[in-house]
Amino acid sequence: MLPGEDKMKVFKKYLKIWLKLTILAFSIDLSNRFTATLAITGKLIRFLFFLGFLFLLVGRTETLAGYDFYQVVFFFLTFNLIDILVQFFLRGVYHFRGLIVSGDFDLILVKPINPLFRSLFQRTDVYDLMTLIALVVYMIIFVAGSNLTVTPLGVILYLVLMISSFIIGLAFHIGFLAVGILTTEIENVVWIYRDLSGMGRIPIDVYREPLRTFLTIVIPIAVIVTFPAKALMGLLSWQWVLFSFVISGLFLFLSLRFWRYALTQYSSASS
Amino acid sequence: MPKYFQVIKITFQEYFVYRLNFVLWRFRSFVQLLVLYFLWSALIPQGTTLFGYDQAKILTYILGTSIVRSFILSSRSVDAAGEIASGTLANFLLRPINYLKYWFSKDIADKILNLFFSIIGIFLILILLRPPIIIQNNLTIIIFTVIAVALGIVLYFFLSFLLSMIAFWTPENIWPPRFLSMIIIEFLAGSLFPLDILPVGVFKALKLLPFTYLLFFPLNVYLGKLTTQEIFTGILISLFWIVVFWQLAKALFRLGLRNYAAWGR
Repeated sequence: MLPGEDKMKVFKKYLKIWLKLTILAFSIDLSNRFTATLAITGKLIRFLFFLGFLFLLVGRTETLAGYDFYQVVFFFLTFNLIDILVQFFLRGVYHFRGLIVSGDFDLILVKPINPLFRSLFQRTDVYDLMTLIALVVYMIIFVAGSNLTVTPLGVILYLVLMISSFIIGLAFHIGFLAVGILTTEIENVVWIYRDLSGMGRIPIDVYREPLRTFLTIVIPIAVIVTFPAKALMGLLSWQWVLFSFVISGLFLFLSLRFWRYALTQYSSASS
Repeated sequence: MPKYFQVIKITFQEYFVYRLNFVLWRFRSFVQLLVLYFLWSALIPQGTTLFGYDQAKILTYILGTSIVRSFILSSRSVDAAGEIASGTLANFLLRPINYLKYWFSKDIADKILNLFFSIIGIFLILILLRPPIIIQNNLTIIIFTVIAVALGIVLYFFLSFLLSMIAFWTPENIWPPRFLSMIIIEFLAGSLFPLDILPVGVFKALKLLPFTYLLFFPLNVYLGKLTTQEIFTGILISLFWIVVFWQLAKALFRLGLRNYAAWGR
């Protein structure tokens, strides 16, 4: 942002850019309806397969780490919600390596747009938007028909903690971009994160120590997935809510520092 | 034959061009293994059973699946789709090389590397976490397991090659068909959980499909859960599907070539 520039004006400018990029992504991804249908079907089937597995599992054990069937499924739905949200907005990170290896990142650096914004949001995942809509509808139906006690405070905390989760996800993705600049490697790092975050499909309480602490503080999967779900169910103390904000702020701060450092090391390979 | 041996050698060299990429790829496989290990250790603590599996059986299944999957469900032939889409295939059509054999040679290199690093991964887990696992010492069962794995490798190669042929018709978007197929294949092969925990009717139907013979069947043979008759039936069904996919892959390749215009070349 330039000195003296109106913040609201800047926000509107970037919103406009994001909308333009999103419309372009829509045009590309929906150009072939057959493959678009296959991609969306794949995402839905993957979701249904694991949901079916949970039905089988909790149907047999009745509880998992003290959580009943509805609670276990709600943890899984929350995992999917945050996972899809992050990917819907930040799919561009998966395309970043191409920019670095080809040297096309230079073209982003010389434009009057924040390069971090452009790198993060260069591609919106249309397929994820479709699954996101389906998921939210299913979540509402599921919660309405479940035995979960939902209070207005629970819902507010859930939404606020989801923002906190998104910030942690964002921080990780900024870190991946920085790693991409420093090493030209990004895909496997992203997938390692996604494999680890997959552990949040079931409540983190299921795992033993010290793994549970690792998943709360080092790679805070618990904060990203388990905390919002627990908050909605009224099972999260205010100390952990506070912890969630502190850790998301800390991760974002560190990732931005890392990004700035990585930019100073960029050597414009291949251009 | 020597030319295909050269393909194997070159594939090895390709892997080590981007060394960090290679290291992280292997590290990722190790992380995947750990995630599954922790998940199932938590779901079935020691001294309990679930779906007829105690912890030793399920961990043997999961860790075994990880090894078997690393050289059955990993096939470089996925890249054939990219070559068709980019037009690079034209280079191969002009050379005295069999495209199927070329990709099978690349697969051999891939599987040797995968096997080597998977064993290291399992070895690390055995040393660090000391999980209770079943070591099979019946030589006949071990021989049948090797046969089942070999059949799984060939079966998946033709299946994967067949999927890559779709690129002849959708060159602009080759990822979605592969993505959808892999989700179905991985699940129905038993990579998430043993298939015999499913309802009996579903499980019986799955046994007629090819996917069961990629992971679940070899692992069940290893665990000694099958009778000799069941093993032979499984081998026959695998052979049937191998022939089906082999013929389909060849037919689709020929058909695709008629549609191929070497775009971008």
